[in-house]
Amino acid sequence: MNELSVQFDGVCKRYAHFALEDIHLELPTGSIMGFIGANGAGKSTTIRILMGLVHQDKGSVQVLGHPMPAEQAAAKFDIGFVSEDMRLYGAATLAWHMDFLKPIYPRWDAAYAEVLARRFDLKPEQRIKGLSHGQRVKAALLLALARRPRLLVLDEPTTGLDPVARVEVLGELMAALADEERTILFSSHNTLDVEQISDQITFIDRGRIIDSDDKETFLDRWRRLRLVLPPDVAVPHLPGVVEVGGSGRLPVLTTNCFEPAMVSVCNELGATVQAVDTMTLEEIFLANVHSRRERVTA
Amino acid sequence: MNYSMVKSLVLKDWYFQRKAILLCLGGGIASLAIVAFGGKVGFYLGLVLLITILIVIAATVVMGTLVGERDNQTLAFVMSLPISFRDYTAAKMLVNLLIFIPFWLVLTAGSLGLVLAAPPIRGLFAFTVIMAVEILVSTCLMIAVALVTESKGWTTSAMIAGNLALDVVGYMVAHIPGIGNGMFGPVVHWRPAATVSLIVEFALIALMLGGAFFIQSRKREFI
Repeated sequence: MNELSVQFDGVCKRYAHFALEDIHLELPTGSIMGFIGANGAGKSTTIRILMGLVHQDKGSVQVLGHPMPAEQAAAKFDIGFVSEDMRLYGAATLAWHMDFLKPIYPRWDAAYAEVLARRFDLKPEQRIKGLSHGQRVKAALLLALARRPRLLVLDEPTTGLDPVARVEVLGELMAALADEERTILFSSHNTLDVEQISDQITFIDRGRIIDSDDKETFLDRWRRLRLVLPPDVAVPHLPGVVEVGGSGRLPVLTTNCFEPAMVSVCNELGATVQAVDTMTLEEIFLANVHSRRERVTA
Repeated sequence: MNYSMVKSLVLKDWYFQRKAILLCLGGGIASLAIVAFGGKVGFYLGLVLLITILIVIAATVVMGTLVGERDNQTLAFVMSLPISFRDYTAAKMLVNLLIFIPFWLVLTAGSLGLVLAAPPIRGLFAFTVIMAVEILVSTCLMIAVALVTESKGWTTSAMIAGNLALDVVGYMVAHIPGIGNGMFGPVVHWRPAATVSLIVEFALIALMLGGAFFIQSRKREFI
């Protein structure tokens, strides 16, 4: 089993109108986890707890072997953090920010910072307040990456970017990540962004982790089965069905435990499998959230 | 405590406040010149100007280094650095005091120098010392409130309260028999009442800054 860079065990945090409940989360070293949830699902709270910036009410958090928040200062030497609501100092230049961080981080890589500045098309002598939003995000990413962190935490870094800037930032980020193996937690409400760079996926909804697995397994085990039922045949009971849609004679079953044998099972039960559709991560996320919310309401 | 990180944060804030510091330094020097060479009117005008500069530098630095971090959303950047809440609190207290105290010392020394240099008002010595420390108390109140609340509204309220307290404390101190008697005379009197007043003021400073440290260390959310 891989060593874990992040481990949440039974973590709870309560606010007046929101609660993070019983969070169990494991991020193996070297993996890239996409942390997906709707706005207000609890992504940022989870990440703030991970960073030691918010203290959990219950449960334990270990980051790079450090218990959080007790050893947050030591842990943060090895963490690069970029969040949607993080701003750099507008009156200072990017070069000033680099000079500020250089003596703080023992592994600060000045040559790599220069490479990233060229790759991101940033001018170090330019003031931050003169940069576009996309450039500011790139500047923040540069400052996080040049620390050569063992763990990179990106909290919705692409939020608020126009489509062109988003694609550009993601492209540059992927190119930068290809440089070496890192452990990354990437949160977003945009599944497309996450799908591109992640190998692990975790869904969070209304303060609870609702599913977590590696991306390929997610994509393999989720399918939509389009059936045709003869008049006297009921909808077959299949494992992992989270949603039954379509019309009475033409049901569409969404399952999270798909296996090819299901097709022959359906046929044996008298149903014809018209199609087995693969699902995008967004469809999987939505089906997951809806089924969970229905279970909670029921 | 990570002293090297505290130093980095202090230098960072110093860098961003350098223009305000330079402006106030220039204003302070000009005020002292007016006090020294401006005659009777210049004396009062210069003193008022000096106190104003003290209030301005304190307010500017507190707003810029404490409230500004949250308002400008740079707090997340600072807190992503390898620092603890204690390091952050210590750095912010330190930078505010390090910038304010030199100005305050110059004002205090200048005022006391003028009091001692003018025989008819030497009796004001104890009163001047107590009121100078009261200005420090007001500033520490503003620093403590800004640290704990990070709110522009609360910090402004603390600043107004501190300035109003100057008048109230001035009135009260002038009516303490051990200080008020002989205040307008030509002789310096330092009686136990003045020492007690100073002890109370420094105890207040310790209480406010210590209290801010205590509250910060119990905070469960930093951004």
